[in-house]
Amino acid sequence: MTNVEPTAIELRQLSFQYPNGRLALDAITCLVPVGERLAIVGPSGAGKSTLLMHMNGLLPAAPTNTDAEVQVFVQGQGVTRTRLRDIRREVGFLFQDPDDQLFCPTVREDVAFGPLNLGLERAEVIARVERGLAAVGMADCSTRNPAELSTGERKRVCLAGLLACQPSILVLDEPTSNLDPRARRQLLAILREFPGTLIVATHDLDFVIDLCSRVLVLESGKVQADGPTQRILSDPLIMDRHGLEVPWRLR
Amino acid sequence: MPARDAWTESEPRTICDLMPAGLKILLTLTTIVAAGLIPLEHWPAQGLLLAIVFAGLSLAGVTMRYLLRRLGLFLPLLLVFGLSVPAVQSGDAAWSWTISLWLRCTVSFLAGLWLIHVLPFPKLLTALRRWKCPLVLIAMLGFMYRYTFILWEELRRLRNARAARDFGRVPRWRSWTSNAQMIGLLLVRALERAERTHQAMLARGWDGSVRFLDADD
Repeated sequence: MTNVEPTAIELRQLSFQYPNGRLALDAITCLVPVGERLAIVGPSGAGKSTLLMHMNGLLPAAPTNTDAEVQVFVQGQGVTRTRLRDIRREVGFLFQDPDDQLFCPTVREDVAFGPLNLGLERAEVIARVERGLAAVGMADCSTRNPAELSTGERKRVCLAGLLACQPSILVLDEPTSNLDPRARRQLLAILREFPGTLIVATHDLDFVIDLCSRVLVLESGKVQADGPTQRILSDPLIMDRHGLEVPWRLR
Repeated sequence: MPARDAWTESEPRTICDLMPAGLKILLTLTTIVAAGLIPLEHWPAQGLLLAIVFAGLSLAGVTMRYLLRRLGLFLPLLLVFGLSVPAVQSGDAAWSWTISLWLRCTVSFLAGLWLIHVLPFPKLLTALRRWKCPLVLIAMLGFMYRYTFILWEELRRLRNARAARDFGRVPRWRSWTSNAQMIGLLLVRALERAERTHQAMLARGWDGSVRFLDADD
């Protein structure tokens, strides 16, 4: 009898072409087991953000409605138009620019946006907002305008908005971009506490070493390497070939 | 810069801050309606209304510098608009119309300024929700408030980038050209951001319905 590990995300020959004809993803196949911490690294324009957006059903813009054509599976369920709501309940997506994600006049209302869309009772929404803000150390800022916060604080509020939806998978696009070292450490501490599956696209390789157990190298929309963090990031051949550098800590 | 200092949550400092949000909106609307309804050439009544608005601004702790800067933006527009009345109507009545128009618009503008100063924007939205204002309209106001700051920052970055490369030698007429280009660029960036924000809303389960959590809880 084989012991099959439960899968959080499965990609089967995933390809995607933008309307301008550029092939962003080219037959990507990948399995992410439940609870894994996966980093997606690669040069700019490799297709990292495009790949992440497929995991939340944000791409393609018009998802298929037939199971036969599905290329992305979340917890065994194919990402189809009819399942988008359930998929997005399970997959929290952190955007690169926090100002894209913080669109409400106050921090509190922004964190409540996801739970309200889940159709929860008001008392439960309020409880989740408070828990989410407390988890990221932003409980004191609930009535503030996001414009008054620093970039690090905004990222933490974005994360609170995701945590308030209680997703089992977090997908993070460049979570450490524009963060100072202290804000980066705070973010790292919060993410270490997250019990679910974590998928991070980043250029910050030290962050990857600290957080992720597995690395997937992407270039020109193709998977170029896939394996344990230490082995991939310390391999100068792989790193040089794909526009990356072996981090100082692994030299 | 948008009135960030005045339109965000802070501790009550004046008697006006302590008033209920609904009363503040009601007073503002009443003032604007009264300014519109006072008959032509009832100068004492119009003067009295203006005096009441100035008293309100004074009670709210609005500084003269703040007031003059806002009026400096508004009055030139009003001046041009008012001067168009004698162009289409002749005689003494035309000037009465013009002066009355200036007074009414100034009173309404100052009343709006008072409201901005004494009512944090999230509380304004909450009060509008209580008054059963259409939710879509409230959501649009919320977006406008949030993204005014972001677009302003974007504009500041564009201006800095231009200033860093023009070495102070660009003639005024050419700076108008680059201003126009900058506005176009800002529009394109705003459209791109709107698309990304829409995706961020979808990612958190938005289905097209507008839902709010009251700010007073």
